[in-house]
Amino acid sequence: MSLSSLVPLIGVSDVVVGLSLGSRLFLIAVGLSLIFGVLGVLNFAHGGLYMLGAYVTLAVVTGVIDNFWIAALAGALAVGVVGAAIEFAAIRPLYDRIDADLDQLIVTFGFVLIIHETVRFVWGSGSYSVDPPALFDFSVSLGGSTFGAYRLVVIGLAVAVLAGLWLFITRTYFGSLVRGTSSDREMASMLGVDVPRLYTAVFFLGSVLAGLGGALSAPLQSTSPALGDQVIIDAFIVVVIGGLGSMTGAFVGAMLIGMMQSLGPQFISAGSIAIPFLAMVIVLLFRPEGLFGGIGE
Amino acid sequence: MSATDTGGRVRKFGSAVADGWTRERFGLLGALGLVLLAFGPSFQIYLFTDFLVVALFALGFNLLYGYTGLLSFGHGLFYAGGAYGLAIVLRDLGPVFADVVGSGVAPLVTFVVGGLVGLALVVAVAVPVGWLSVRLEEIYFALITLAFGMIGYSLIIQDPAGLTNGTDGIIVLLGSVDVGGESFRIGARQTYYALTVVVVLAAIYGVWRVVNSPFGTVCKAIRESPDRAAALGIDVRHHRWMTFIISAAIVGIAGVLRAGLASVASPGLTHWSTSAVAVIATVIGGATYFSGPIVGAFIFLYIRWGISRFPTLDAYWELFFGALLIGVVLYFKAGAVGGLLLLRDRLFGEGRAGGDDGPTQGGGGAAEPGSSGDRADDRGDDS
Repeated sequence: MSLSSLVPLIGVSDVVVGLSLGSRLFLIAVGLSLIFGVLGVLNFAHGGLYMLGAYVTLAVVTGVIDNFWIAALAGALAVGVVGAAIEFAAIRPLYDRIDADLDQLIVTFGFVLIIHETVRFVWGSGSYSVDPPALFDFSVSLGGSTFGAYRLVVIGLAVAVLAGLWLFITRTYFGSLVRGTSSDREMASMLGVDVPRLYTAVFFLGSVLAGLGGALSAPLQSTSPALGDQVIIDAFIVVVIGGLGSMTGAFVGAMLIGMMQSLGPQFISAGSIAIPFLAMVIVLLFRPEGLFGGIGE
Repeated sequence: MSATDTGGRVRKFGSAVADGWTRERFGLLGALGLVLLAFGPSFQIYLFTDFLVVALFALGFNLLYGYTGLLSFGHGLFYAGGAYGLAIVLRDLGPVFADVVGSGVAPLVTFVVGGLVGLALVVAVAVPVGWLSVRLEEIYFALITLAFGMIGYSLIIQDPAGLTNGTDGIIVLLGSVDVGGESFRIGARQTYYALTVVVVLAAIYGVWRVVNSPFGTVCKAIRESPDRAAALGIDVRHHRWMTFIISAAIVGIAGVLRAGLASVASPGLTHWSTSAVAVIATVIGGATYFSGPIVGAFIFLYIRWGISRFPTLDAYWELFFGALLIGVVLYFKAGAVGGLLLLRDRLFGEGRAGGDDGPTQGGGGAAEPGSSGDRADDRGDDS
C-alpha cells in the first residue's frame, strides 16, 4: 500500500484526537516520571491521585464555584497535599531499607486500594462528566472533520506544562537542588540539602501534576472509580517507553502512545491493544533507561 | 482445634515440639479437620476450596518473591494459562476422549489431560517469558512481568486466534463420571474439594522439597545477596530463570483448579489486579516464611468473608486490605506468620522453629506441610 493511499484514511480529527490523548497521557505520566527520577519511587497510586484530581474538580465545579480553572487549581493543590501526606507518612520510613523499591511499590499499591474505595465511598460508583470551560465549549471544523475545541486547549496545556517544568528544573535554584539530589543523594545531603524535605516537596509537585492532569482531562473522559486503575497502566507504559525520570521522554512517549491509540485500530485490528505492552517489553529489555534518559533532559 | 488440644498443658507444648513427634500429631489432626470439613455446610466447603487455590497461587508467586527477591506483577498470566488450558481441552476435546476411553470415565480423563495441558501451556509460556524477565531486577522486573501479563490479557480479550472467546471467557463444564453404575459429578462441592485438597497438598509438598533442596538453598543465597552468590560462582540468572519456571508451574496448577471451581476461565485472571491478589496475600502472611502465603491467603479469604456479612462494609472491603498491606510493610514486615511465631515464643518460651499453630490449624491442616516446616529464615531484614 503506498503512502498516498494511506493518507486519506487519517483524518485531521484523528490526528487531533491522537495528540489530545497523548497530551492527557503526558499529564498523567509526567508527575510519575518526576517522582521516579528524583526519589526512585514507582508510585502505583499515581493513577489514583490523577482520578482524585478529576473528582475534586468535579466537586468544586458543582458545589462551590462554577469556574473550571479555579476548580482545576483546587483539585491539583488538594491532590498535592494528599500526595505529600502519603510520602511523609508511608514512603519516607522506607528509603533506607534494603529492598526499598519493592516495599515502596507495595505500599503505594495499598494506597491504590484506599483511594479507590474512598472515592467510591464519597462519590459512589457512578460515572460523571465535567463540561469544558464555557469559553472553549464549541466544536472546530477542520479538513472536513469536527472535534471539540477543548482538545486543542489540552494539547496547548500539555506543552505549557512541559515548558514550565523544564524551566523550573533547569533555571531555578530549587530545580538545581532537585537535579543534584537526583544524581547523587548522599553528596547532596553532605552539601547541606535537606533531602527528606526535598523529597516531600518533589512528591508534592508530582502529585500536583497528577491532580492537574486529572482535572484538565476531566472534560475529555468519564470520571468513575475505575479511572485510576485504567490510567496507571497507561502511565507505566508511557514512562517506561520515554524513560523513567525523563520529562521530554514522557512527552514523546505519551504522544507516541496517544497516536497509536487513535490511529492504530484503523491499521491493525487483531491484538492491537497488546502493542503498547509489547513496546514496553522491548524497551525494558533493550533500552531500560528509555528512549530518553535522565531528568530534565 | 490445636487450642483445645494444647490448652490444658501449655507448659509441655514446647518440650513436646522438641520431641518432634507432635509434627505427626498435628498432621493427623489437620487431616482429620480436612475430612470433617467435607461434611460441613456447602458454602464453607466452597470457601475452603477457594482458600486452597488462592494459597497455592500465592505460594507459587512467593517462590519467586520470597526466595529470589523478584516481585512479579504478572503471575496472573500463568494463573490464566492453567485455567484456559483446561477450559480449551474440555470444550474442544471432550467428545474425542469420550470416543477413545468410553463416555463413563471420559470426563475424568479429559479433566486430567486438560490439567496437564494447562500446566504444559504455562511452562511453555514461562520458559521464554522467564528467560527475558530475569534479565531485569527490582522495579524493572515488576514492570516487565506486568507488561507480559497485560499482553496475555490483551490477547485473551481480543482473541486473534479464535480460541479464548474474548471477554466472555470459556465456560468450564467438568461433567459426571459413570463407573459400574455409580455416578458422581467432578464439580460437585465435596468431590471437587477432595480433589483440590489432594492436588494442593501434593503441590505444597513439592514446593517444600524444592525449597529445602540444594537448589532452594542457592535461591536463598541469591536472595540474601545476589552479588555474593555470583562471586561464589553461582549462575544467578540461571537460578532465577529456573525458579521463575517452577513458580509459574505452581501458579498454573492453581489456575487449573480455579477454572474448575469457578466453572469459567475468564480474562480477568490475567489482569494485573489478579496478580496483585498474590502480592497482597503473600505480604500480609509474611513473605519470608514458607507458610506466609498460605496464612495470608487464609486471612485474605476469611476476613473478606467476615466483612461480606456486613453489607455496608462489604462494599468497601478493599479499603481494609489496602490499610492492612501498608501497615504490614511499614511496621511488621514479618507478616501474620511472623506475628504468630512471636506470639508462640511469648506464650511457650523458646520453642524450636516448627509446628506453628494459628489460623491454618483452625482452617484445617492444609497448611501443615508448610507451617510445620519452618521459617524460610529471615531475609536479612531491614529493621
